[in-house]
Amino acid sequence: MKTIALFTIFVLISGVASTSLVNDAYAQNDPSILLRIATQADKQILNQLDRSYGDSIPSKIQTIYEKGHASVESLKNSLPDNIEQAREDFLSAMKSFKQITRMISEPVAESKLATSDVSDKDLKSKLNRLDKYFQSLKTASEKHNTGIDFSEIEQLFTQANQQIDSGETREATQTIQQLESSIHEIKKKIRENSSHSSSDRIKKFASKHLIKIQKILDRASSVDSEMPELEKANSLIQEIKTLISDDNISDAKKKFGELNKIVKTIKKSIHQ
Amino acid sequence: MNPQIVPTHRKESLREDGMLFVRTEGILDTMVKLPLLVASMIIVAAVIPVQSSFSSPRVLDLIIYPDGTTHVSVEVNVDPLATDYELELFGSTIDNFVVVGENGFLLNTDVIGNSALIETFGSSVITIEYDIHDLVAKQGRIWTFSLNAPSDFTLLLPKNSAIVGMTNLPINMEIINDQNQLTLSVGDTEIDYLFSTTPVVTDPIISDTPTLQTDYFTYAIVGGIVAASIVGIVAIIRSKQKIVKPIQVQQSAKKIETVDAETIFKLKPDLREDDKEIVKFISNNGGQVLESELRKKFLQPRTTMWRAVKRLERNGVIEIEKKDLQNLVKLRKNMEEEE
Repeated sequence: MKTIALFTIFVLISGVASTSLVNDAYAQNDPSILLRIATQADKQILNQLDRSYGDSIPSKIQTIYEKGHASVESLKNSLPDNIEQAREDFLSAMKSFKQITRMISEPVAESKLATSDVSDKDLKSKLNRLDKYFQSLKTASEKHNTGIDFSEIEQLFTQANQQIDSGETREATQTIQQLESSIHEIKKKIRENSSHSSSDRIKKFASKHLIKIQKILDRASSVDSEMPELEKANSLIQEIKTLISDDNISDAKKKFGELNKIVKTIKKSIHQ
Repeated sequence: MNPQIVPTHRKESLREDGMLFVRTEGILDTMVKLPLLVASMIIVAAVIPVQSSFSSPRVLDLIIYPDGTTHVSVEVNVDPLATDYELELFGSTIDNFVVVGENGFLLNTDVIGNSALIETFGSSVITIEYDIHDLVAKQGRIWTFSLNAPSDFTLLLPKNSAIVGMTNLPINMEIINDQNQLTLSVGDTEIDYLFSTTPVVTDPIISDTPTLQTDYFTYAIVGGIVAASIVGIVAIIRSKQKIVKPIQVQQSAKKIETVDAETIFKLKPDLREDDKEIVKFISNNGGQVLESELRKKFLQPRTTMWRAVKRLERNGVIEIEKKDLQNLVKLRKNMEEEE
């Protein structure tokens, strides 16, 4: 019996500890990537310094670079045995390189990017993002069996790609705008077409949830039948049932929100 | 006379010699049912991670485009009994926001400022995708990505970008279509990068010994616990001298009627080579396999395999089913008819 008791404790401890062990193990995955990133950064910083200053690198920057480079060298030596040291070296090298990038960057005010920022606009990126968005909607549309025809949009994507490749920026911008509005329309259509299946889903959910709420109300009523929220909650349940049977899903959803708030208050009262 | 005061509740337990005896043998049997104790403790240990994962992203993938805009893809476990779910976004300049439930159905959303209210109505897993302009800033030639991540995440950097500054340690790095993809841990991350005129791709990853050791270590722990649990339960049952029913050997995976791999490749000629390998493996396994088995077979991190599986699902090659909190990946039966 003692053995079994000890075994039980062992299972519990190892069961709980295993999750943290797994996380720790994952955090130590492949330390050689540190060296790859740091070496690449070192090379890039050197290129940037060469481009910006040629042979006359300011001494302050030179000192920081040497510190960063020394950390990369130390990182090489630390691997594969001394992982802790390697981590320190990596962070130290990247900190130095980061300092240098701040110093050599042109003194332009830092700003968050905006789509209206013409200088940073990249039509290809925008088109790729739109394509990703379109693919998500297309998949959802197929799930809903909407039967929407996407051929026109797909044609517009091909057109925009060709225009970008041949450097027709203005035309490409126009096509992308056209695509944006077409995709917007498609999303609307999917919503309209899918409203039936989503209302079915909501009805199923509501009937399941209302049973659960009714049980809570019954319990609350047995604790304190005079609770003022009970009457309101019961009447809301009746209203929701009526609205759902009338297919008035949007109003039912609003009432559901109200009911949930009241149920929360009732739950608190029961547990007080 | 000074009578000795003896507490009444102890009087009976005292023997003639005045010593107090407490029977320890069998106390566990008397107080608790041991098998119940073991079972409940195992359940508690198993449930802890499930509870902590509720409402925190189980998958978070980010892609930075060359213009600095970031595509965010989040998969979140939500309460299936809740009507809606409020998601904190990583900023307020959001484009192309779309949320689908676990069955691929489009969910209604309302984005206000930094948060989105999603009508989940019974969904237990939702996937959110959007583009955001708040995560990358540019100063001169340097681009800076910064994020306070709620969970571990992957970050795909643009082509020809080189990292030149970083505030924390990456968990992993892979090359995907000539782009560096980092796996980073929860918390604050700041990465400086710039675009190089020469192609910048760090050396491809060769499965290093430390990674494999880590995996074996993890498997050893999990395997050990499972084996110990089974042995323990069998021992308890035997100790109770009850009739032990023969352990039912799980039948090998049911062969299901599926399209074979070669037919799939003919129907979907654009499939990636690595995806084809996955399809072959599933096909050889009778047309269905757990996602975790795919990870073990191809030694891929969870997020990478999840993306591959999602890609195959989007291509209509496979379908995903939930089985005991795991993803069961099945080759689709009706591909030929659809084509």
